[in-house]
Amino acid sequence: MSTQAPAPDQMSLSTSALLPTPAAAPDQTSAPAFAFAQVAMSASSHVPAHAAASPGGRVFPALTGARPAWRRRFANRFAAIVAAAGCLAALIPLGFLLAAVVSRGAARFDLAFITQTMRGVIGAGGGALHAIVGTVFITAATICFSVPLGLAAAIYLVEYGRGKLARTVTFLVDVMTGIPSIVAGLFAYALLSLLLGPGVRSGLAGALALSLLMTPVVIRASEEMLRLVPDDLREAACALGVGKHRVITQVILPTALSGLVSAVMLGVARIVGETAPLLLVAGFTDSMNLNLADGRMATLPVYIYSQWQNKGLDAAAYDNRAWTAALLLIGFVLILNLLARLAGRLFAPGAKRHARAS
Amino acid sequence: MKHASIVKIKLIFSFATVFAVAAGCSAVEDNPDEGVSSGASAGTLSGVLAGGGASSQTAAQEAWRAGFQAANLDVTVDYDPTGSGTGRTNFADGGYAFAGTDAPFTAAEAAGSFATCASGSGLVEIPAYISPIAVAFNLDGVDSLRLDAVVIADIFAGRLTSWNDPAIAALNPGANLPDTAITPVHRSDKSGTTENFTDYLVQTAPTAWTFAAAEAWPAELKGEAAEKTQGVRQTIAATAGAIGYLDASQASGLGTAELKVGDGYVAYSPEAAAAAVGKSSLEAGRAAFDVVVDIDRTLSDGDVYPLVLVSYLVACERYADPAAGSLAKAYLEYVISAEGQQAAAEHAGSAPITADPALAPKAAAAVAAIA
Repeated sequence: MSTQAPAPDQMSLSTSALLPTPAAAPDQTSAPAFAFAQVAMSASSHVPAHAAASPGGRVFPALTGARPAWRRRFANRFAAIVAAAGCLAALIPLGFLLAAVVSRGAARFDLAFITQTMRGVIGAGGGALHAIVGTVFITAATICFSVPLGLAAAIYLVEYGRGKLARTVTFLVDVMTGIPSIVAGLFAYALLSLLLGPGVRSGLAGALALSLLMTPVVIRASEEMLRLVPDDLREAACALGVGKHRVITQVILPTALSGLVSAVMLGVARIVGETAPLLLVAGFTDSMNLNLADGRMATLPVYIYSQWQNKGLDAAAYDNRAWTAALLLIGFVLILNLLARLAGRLFAPGAKRHARAS
Repeated sequence: MKHASIVKIKLIFSFATVFAVAAGCSAVEDNPDEGVSSGASAGTLSGVLAGGGASSQTAAQEAWRAGFQAANLDVTVDYDPTGSGTGRTNFADGGYAFAGTDAPFTAAEAAGSFATCASGSGLVEIPAYISPIAVAFNLDGVDSLRLDAVVIADIFAGRLTSWNDPAIAALNPGANLPDTAITPVHRSDKSGTTENFTDYLVQTAPTAWTFAAAEAWPAELKGEAAEKTQGVRQTIAATAGAIGYLDASQASGLGTAELKVGDGYVAYSPEAAAAAVGKSSLEAGRAAFDVVVDIDRTLSDGDVYPLVLVSYLVACERYADPAAGSLAKAYLEYVISAEGQQAAAEHAGSAPITADPALAPKAAAAVAAIA
């Protein structure tokens, strides 16, 4: 399976027509692009196929004749430098940001910050335990809403969706990806105000608003992951007489599982730092609230915002708390990403084969 | 076959994790200790009191919440600093059990009905937070300036464009004024601070300031717009030659102006702000428990700082939800107590209303009327 490239029929036909025997093409790898290049080259230059596949490829006058070697080397070096400079330019702001957050957040990065709430705190002191708990709760609730919905939609699009309906769903998902977060918050606020009366605030409402943002990301990302599952697997399973639902649950989902975990993490990373919708519908409180369904629930982004925006006379204490909360939020995303990588490695289809072999 | 069963176990495991999280979500929903409905029982209060409104009160509310919650461990008070207008709307619609607002309901509005209150109930409005507004600037080497209302109006209307303008120099003999351009900074959002600032200009410089007193800054005027008090503070701190108005508690580190009152100049202080409110009269035509101050900014006494903000707390005489009523009454009692006002003075730099012999008993009577 892994040794043969899943190239389109025509291409493999012409390859086999030009190549006398499979053994004459020693470099035939799994990359379809490479196979295509071989075909195109051998078709245009009319040289023997085994020569076309040799490394270096000096037999091609079209490649070597027009450009001298020094120029090729120069272009190569130049492109490498540009790429490296681009990478560096992208990393510099990230480095500055991390340095600023770490240096300013260090002042209050202590045990009290992660074990205390802001209840009863005036000025300095206090912590963000209630905001950490709120972020974890609301993120978990958002995952409860978004992952089943997003996964089901992605499975529909990849395995079942044909024609107008699938195109419409894809189009709407793309539109939803671009929804500004404040609009999602206003939608959730308007909906819950109509249902439960004005001024309603709850963590569940926040999760509802965030699901609007997370679901399209999950759909798009897991759709790509499901498409990566080779058709041969589906065909093989069907050839064995397995029903479609079992093909999906026992062949396709397990194969794509590590990618699906990444898709979910992408979605979580999209929503975990959202402030505007949570400010509108989840509100802010000084106290711990463990009830998602009722009452205001603090979250880390809103905590940062309110500490910066609503300072007392001792302004430095508020700034320090905001920076430390920002540091915690970045750490939270980092930990989630590490967990996702770990999960991806554990669930990867190759992992158990290696584990069993060893 | 063995392969498939391992996959199945892992799938079951991952779905089980999701459901465990979901179950966790629903389990905490059953917690009966939260919510206004659980209300008061003999002597001890419990529940959640939700209010919101004027952002000027935020620091004071923090002090009040801390003090009140320390005395009532089972009560949680929340205050959303969403702005006065939103606070009043949410109170009228039943979203808040109490509201903070820089601009009280008009007499006509106060006579209407409120979803938070029981039908036929009157409105309780008390001045809870009195704070001076500072005119702050960023000018190299200058910490204090003397300004009068006409010059301030000319600066904010864009007629004075340079700090060494003769009109400013005439008020500050001996001051070393640079020729830096003046950048007026105003609030981009609707604000009680803006309303009190423009009201000061309307009352004291009616010819120089031709705009009305309003929560929104006149759109035709130029200058930097900044969001909320912190935005104004940051813009002033970052711009050489900037001048703006903001709650005095946030003006530390910036240069501030002494205002011309009568023949002298007065720097902002809680005492001078309290004096301005104490020497003003209550607004006429209000119900007994609707205590609204009509600030007279044209006083000429030397101990009065006329650029002052009075922020109100709004509650009902009788609540649609009696549990919310008892919580609101207890909270407002604490707010206007000597202890509560002192906490706000220390933390937010406000002037205690308890020092005002005319106002304090009226406010106390209004809170006592909450059933």
